[in-house]
Amino acid sequence: MKHYDMIIVGAGPAGLSAAIEAAKRGMKVVVYDENAKPGGQLFKQIHKFFGSREHYAKIRGFQIGEKLLAEASELGVEVVLDAIVIGIFPEKEVTVKIGEHVTHAKGDTILIATGASENMVTFPGWTLPGVIGAGAAQTMMNLHGVLPGHRVLMLGTGNVGLVVSFQLMQAGCEVVALADAAPRVGGYGVHASKVARCGVPFYLSHTIVSAEGEDHVTGVTIGQVDANWQIIEGSEKHFDVDTICLAVGLSPMSKLCDMAGCDMEDNPAKAGFVPVVDEYGETSVSGIYAAGDVSGIEEASSAMIEGRIAGIAAAVKLGYLSEAEGTAEIEKQKAALGGLRQGMFAPGMRGKQITETEEGIAISQNLLQYGFVSDEEVERFPGVTHSSGIHPVMECTQNIPCNPCQDACKNHCIKIGSHITSLPSVDPEAKCTGCGMCVAACSGQAIFLVREDCGDGTAEITLPYEFLPLPQKGEKGTALSRKGEAVCEAEVVGVRTAKVFDHTNLLTMKVPKEYAMKARFFRKGEPV
Amino acid sequence: MNDRNRELKPFVEAPDDDMIICRCEEITKGEIRRAVHDGMFTLTEIRRYLRTGMGLCQGQTCTKLVKSIVARELGVKPNALGSATGRAPMRPIEMQILAKDKGE
Ligand SMILES: Cc1cc2nc3c(=O)[nH]c(=O)nc-3n(C[C@H](O)[C@H](O)[C@H](O)COP(=O)(O)OP(=O)(O)OC[C@H]3O[C@@H](n4cnc5c(N)ncnc54)[C@H](O)[C@@H]3O)c2cc1C
Ligand code: SF4
Ligand code: SF4
Repeated sequence: MKHYDMIIVGAGPAGLSAAIEAAKRGMKVVVYDENAKPGGQLFKQIHKFFGSREHYAKIRGFQIGEKLLAEASELGVEVVLDAIVIGIFPEKEVTVKIGEHVTHAKGDTILIATGASENMVTFPGWTLPGVIGAGAAQTMMNLHGVLPGHRVLMLGTGNVGLVVSFQLMQAGCEVVALADAAPRVGGYGVHASKVARCGVPFYLSHTIVSAEGEDHVTGVTIGQVDANWQIIEGSEKHFDVDTICLAVGLSPMSKLCDMAGCDMEDNPAKAGFVPVVDEYGETSVSGIYAAGDVSGIEEASSAMIEGRIAGIAAAVKLGYLSEAEGTAEIEKQKAALGGLRQGMFAPGMRGKQITETEEGIAISQNLLQYGFVSDEEVERFPGVTHSSGIHPVMECTQNIPCNPCQDACKNHCIKIGSHITSLPSVDPEAKCTGCGMCVAACSGQAIFLVREDCGDGTAEITLPYEFLPLPQKGEKGTALSRKGEAVCEAEVVGVRTAKVFDHTNLLTMKVPKEYAMKARFFRKGEPV
Repeated sequence: MNDRNRELKPFVEAPDDDMIICRCEEITKGEIRRAVHDGMFTLTEIRRYLRTGMGLCQGQTCTKLVKSIVARELGVKPNALGSATGRAPMRPIEMQILAKDKGE
């Protein structure tokens, strides 16, 4: 039987981060993951992440996974793939199915970082082929290069539903609508806005009545729900679709913790059945730790920090690090974690209705109901200013833990300050050169460069564009509003692509100047 | 949950009773509701009685759904129910692979 200082189950951000910290201290570490590729959820995340530089903000999820893996390998961590941990037994022994064999391993410490699984909801027809989890759709598209369908309805407006809707469109699917039984959009407003401006309608307080089809999905009916979650008669809407994506939450995959005899709790604030852990991630069983989504659904950024804390704590426990050093390092990590767990979407805010930002500005209600900020509302946010030359317009209106835009501008046009969840504001005194670094760095695709008046009755708008094929300079098309409605004809006057932009292309379009603050997307094809 | 004297409302058939909840084992909502009235109050009992969550996905899809149906039938909150006992193997595995396990 093999013996390790630390056995880690799950090679997601939590598991890999713990492995790095433990191996750095000289521990012999093995990481088992059931997938052919390490990285957990990260390997299907093709979007740029939020957070700050230390948390790999503005880097695409799969690249964060690659970075963690490279660092772990360099430190001599043994990462075993296609390896399912099928059991955990007393004396910290695990059984692992690798290929056609079951092997046994013992660890002085064990970290369970098994992540989460997707929730489902039931409705007539929910077992028809074509009803899939949003995560499954993402795996099909981004890992296997397979289109899940052609016309899709997404149920759920949390970040997963919003991000996957956008990625479905990038892959070439048509998303006919987003529906959610809740009365308000659950995910980040910036993610919602980038979907809405492509013309996807949001139906809040709506749920699926039924899926139609004989041997696969051919259509779906949604309806509005009343205060008791009953469908209001006459509110039904039908869509012809071949795919229904469910993004209705994740549940911690904590079975191994339960099997190991850890004290468990059913905690709605953590989205399910989770092990009770102390501030170091240690469960009630000494030497068995849990970190990441398995101990409460959160983000990759917090999963990484929780993993690091568990790795350091294990090193202290086994004497690879002095208690004083360990405590000092853990305190640093805890401070970072505290910073991330702030703002409107912090774990403690779940289910609370927020009406004002930290700055005391009324929240955009339109954003919560329809997925986009209205023309009138947008003017009250500090990122939206007006000046004669080219300037950034930042339509980022909620307190989220994110700040790469501030770092991106070398001319100090953009300010968030030291409090990571503050709204970005534009300094009208600073001189914007139109370099576009902020537009490409914004994980929420919420920054536009606007020249409101070019002197000839037109305005120029530069926007982030992540669809293929790329429009060409001189091409005419349609400018869409924040709601995704056609507002006027637009001509592409520039498309910038650069390595530093990391696949976010900067498209500049010319529109009549009265649309400078209305036009926010470019639709290819015959202008209407 | 072990209060076997719990008074349940009488079983009333519902229009969606034939909806499949556990796809792997093809167990319907009606069967789960009926099982509660047959005296199966915990998730472990339901699982032994009906095999919900014992198929290919090992309950990854239906655990939460079964829990909410049982909770509603008992008139308790889902999180009052706890979970079914977890046992190795975590995932389905061929007998021949288990048979080769020499404990190494
Ligand atoms: C669509 C989507 C978008 C997201 N966007 C963001 C974002 O912008 N920013 C952000 O910070 N977070 C984001 N997240 C959340 C983030 O991906 C997760 O919170 C994070 O990946 C959790 O990390 P983890 O290490 O706990 O688990 P995971 O990443 O889920 O990794 C767990 C790993 O363990 C493996 N495993 C489980 N059981 C076993 C077993 N028995 N044996 C072997 N291996 C096992 C799993 O297969 C998996 O590979 C997003 C998530 C989704 C789904
Ligand atoms: S375009 Fe360049 S100069 Fe202007 S705000 Fe953005 S980063 Fe700063
Ligand atoms: S504007 Fe800044 S804070 Fe807002 S999403 Fe973009 S990068 Fe993040």
